[in-house]
Amino acid sequence: MIQSLANWILSFDILSGMGQSIAWGISLFVVSALIFAFVAVNAIVLVYIERKVSAFMQVRLGPMRVGKFGTLQTVADALKLLQKEDIIPEKADKPLFVIGPWIILVASVVTFAAIPFSDTLLAANMNIGLFYVVSISSIVVLGIVMAGWASNNKWSLYGAMRSAAQIISYEIPVGITLIAVVAVVGSLNLQTIIQAQAGSSNLFHWIPIPLPNWFIFHSPFLFLASFIYLIGATAEINRTPFDIPESESELVAGFMTEFSGLRWALFFLSEYANATLVAFLVAIVFLGGWQSPFADYKGAQISLLIVTLVSIMWTIFVKTKVGRLSVYPLGLSLLLVVAAWLFPGFAVWLSSPGLFWMLMKVAFIIFLLMWFRWTFPRLRVDQLMYVSWKVILPISIVNLMGVAVWMWLSGEIQF
Amino acid sequence: MGRLHAEEMVLNMGPQHPSTHGVLRLKLTTDGEIVSHIEPVIGYLHRSFEKHAENLEYQMVTPFTGRCDYLAAMGSEHGYAMAVEKMLGIELPERVEYLRVIFAELQRIASHLVAVGTFGLDVGAITPFIYCFRERELILDLFEMASGARLLYNYIWIGGLAHDVPPGFVEKTYEFLDAFDERVTEYNQILTGNKIFIERAADIGVMTPEVAINYGVTGPSLRASGVNLDIRKTQPYSIYDRFDFDVPLGEGIQGTVGDSWDRYYVRVLEMKESAKIVRQALDQLPVEGDVKSAIPRRIRPPKGEVYFRSENPRGELGYYVVSNGKNVPLRVKMRSPAFSNLSVINEIGQGFMISDVIAILGSLDIVLGEIDR
Repeated sequence: MIQSLANWILSFDILSGMGQSIAWGISLFVVSALIFAFVAVNAIVLVYIERKVSAFMQVRLGPMRVGKFGTLQTVADALKLLQKEDIIPEKADKPLFVIGPWIILVASVVTFAAIPFSDTLLAANMNIGLFYVVSISSIVVLGIVMAGWASNNKWSLYGAMRSAAQIISYEIPVGITLIAVVAVVGSLNLQTIIQAQAGSSNLFHWIPIPLPNWFIFHSPFLFLASFIYLIGATAEINRTPFDIPESESELVAGFMTEFSGLRWALFFLSEYANATLVAFLVAIVFLGGWQSPFADYKGAQISLLIVTLVSIMWTIFVKTKVGRLSVYPLGLSLLLVVAAWLFPGFAVWLSSPGLFWMLMKVAFIIFLLMWFRWTFPRLRVDQLMYVSWKVILPISIVNLMGVAVWMWLSGEIQF
Repeated sequence: MGRLHAEEMVLNMGPQHPSTHGVLRLKLTTDGEIVSHIEPVIGYLHRSFEKHAENLEYQMVTPFTGRCDYLAAMGSEHGYAMAVEKMLGIELPERVEYLRVIFAELQRIASHLVAVGTFGLDVGAITPFIYCFRERELILDLFEMASGARLLYNYIWIGGLAHDVPPGFVEKTYEFLDAFDERVTEYNQILTGNKIFIERAADIGVMTPEVAINYGVTGPSLRASGVNLDIRKTQPYSIYDRFDFDVPLGEGIQGTVGDSWDRYYVRVLEMKESAKIVRQALDQLPVEGDVKSAIPRRIRPPKGEVYFRSENPRGELGYYVVSNGKNVPLRVKMRSPAFSNLSVINEIGQGFMISDVIAILGSLDIVLGEIDR
């Protein structure tokens, strides 16, 4: 079985004639180029989707002019950013100003090396994958402080200081929450964590509601942990309602105030890379990664039937605007259920693990993050710290102990 | 070990800043995030309205009044027109009075929509702002129907109106009013009751009635402190005594009386009251009447002076007009509500954080065009 992308590339005949170190070099280069391409394209797509999602939430159309439905808008924006004048303020600390954005970008791109996209598609299968991702992604704060300090601007400084305090505070509850999952699996390897979530079981292994064997349904404590993680991670990537470091209406643009052109684009790139990373981690750790939500193809057929019935009821009984809008999910689920019953092959595909399910889960989490952003106001900096140190941290510590007790009581571990 | 040396930092917020509602500069003395002193620096939008007024005929001053409070141009024009009419002793046709009230109240709704929306924007909620502007567009459409302009109307003239409203205006206004109540519920759902919003606005920038009165704060900001002063009620001008409406007061539902949340919520409630007034005025609107019949051909008020105050969306708007018997006013002094409202910010904003100062500023709802004049 192929362990990772790098090994897969090494298995090409064309590389077998070369020396081993050259072959390794080439495969590493190709893999890192692929990851960077993913991050860059991902950012362009996400910016477009974010603008569209925000537009639909705000009763607008969003970008419509460049390309069909404005699909090329972000490409045009990216090209414009590349052409812009690169301004370094006269009083800025030039070396720090120049490398700050790059540190942020590198830190957020490099984390994708450990992220499994499917059971075979991943750059490097690390036995400490989760630890690697969490630790590397926190290097971002170094770049932010550098950028904010080097700008020699009071607003940037405020933004950088807020950001440093915020990211460091939220690392702790996020880390403790992830430890709860590690305690259940007994491994830091992301692939092992996903494999441990295969199949289906009852809700909390106890209430007879058949659900996928994902960690979010593992126990009440992990259920809570998944929400704590989502909140903490939203804070860690500086998105609303925790976007105080770059809060537009207060600090102009926070640590990004003095940046323009390409350097500013790098911040943007890493912001979306981080959002995607968080979505991947939630999907991997709590939602079963590339596992299918259906245990087998019969399960897929029955689940889709239930979804269809629920949406039919919803459409009939909910007479609001939202109820009327449910015609679209209803149509989609009808289509799916007909396809799943007529073509068992389709149901089998739905119930098999793969890239599709991973991306679906990631897309859902990213949509959730956008939903937060466009509906919530922003917290104040002291409220943010309060939430972290006095609410989330104690809960996550108690939660960790709860997970241990739950596992002991349910007999998953013995002493 | 030596004592850690720390000093306060002076932070210039503005004149170019996303949340100063125009070109205002706030000199903040900050100790970390805590603001220990706020000094508003104004004058970046000075357009010498009062000097212009000394050199123009009475009729020609009207468009300049709208440019002062550009978010409530109808209100400003209404106040000025009424001041000069008081000097001349003009009796207006009924239809003119009703239409003026309709426009002034619609303008109040439009202005409060901007205030409510931008306050949300100041605390980081972007979507409610767009919702508010959606309704404001409908009002601006009505204004465009009547006057042809969407921001600065020059519609309320001394002694009448520039034109009568076109056919279909009344029906369209009814349509707007029918939809509006539901829309206010939407703002309440997305913003007013939001936990984060309440945390950000409640107990922030508490203005006690004493402070408010000492600084001459008027309008919704004063009423949020619990002081029942609405010139439409206490000294009814125009035909406001014919309508049945309430004056919402701050009650400290989420915190203390007179905090930023109260100032926000009073505006939300006032929009509903204004909608009530517009509906009553539309019901009673006389069909007959020439809106231009009372417009004087030449304006030469007798020697003397007049002070006229009216309730603008931002507070008590006063015009002090001095005449020396010529067709050009000797002096037009505008008592700007936003100027007094802004002056209180150091008193109520001290000791709060930078983010709070922005929230307080947003809750005071200032318009720099009117402050600098």
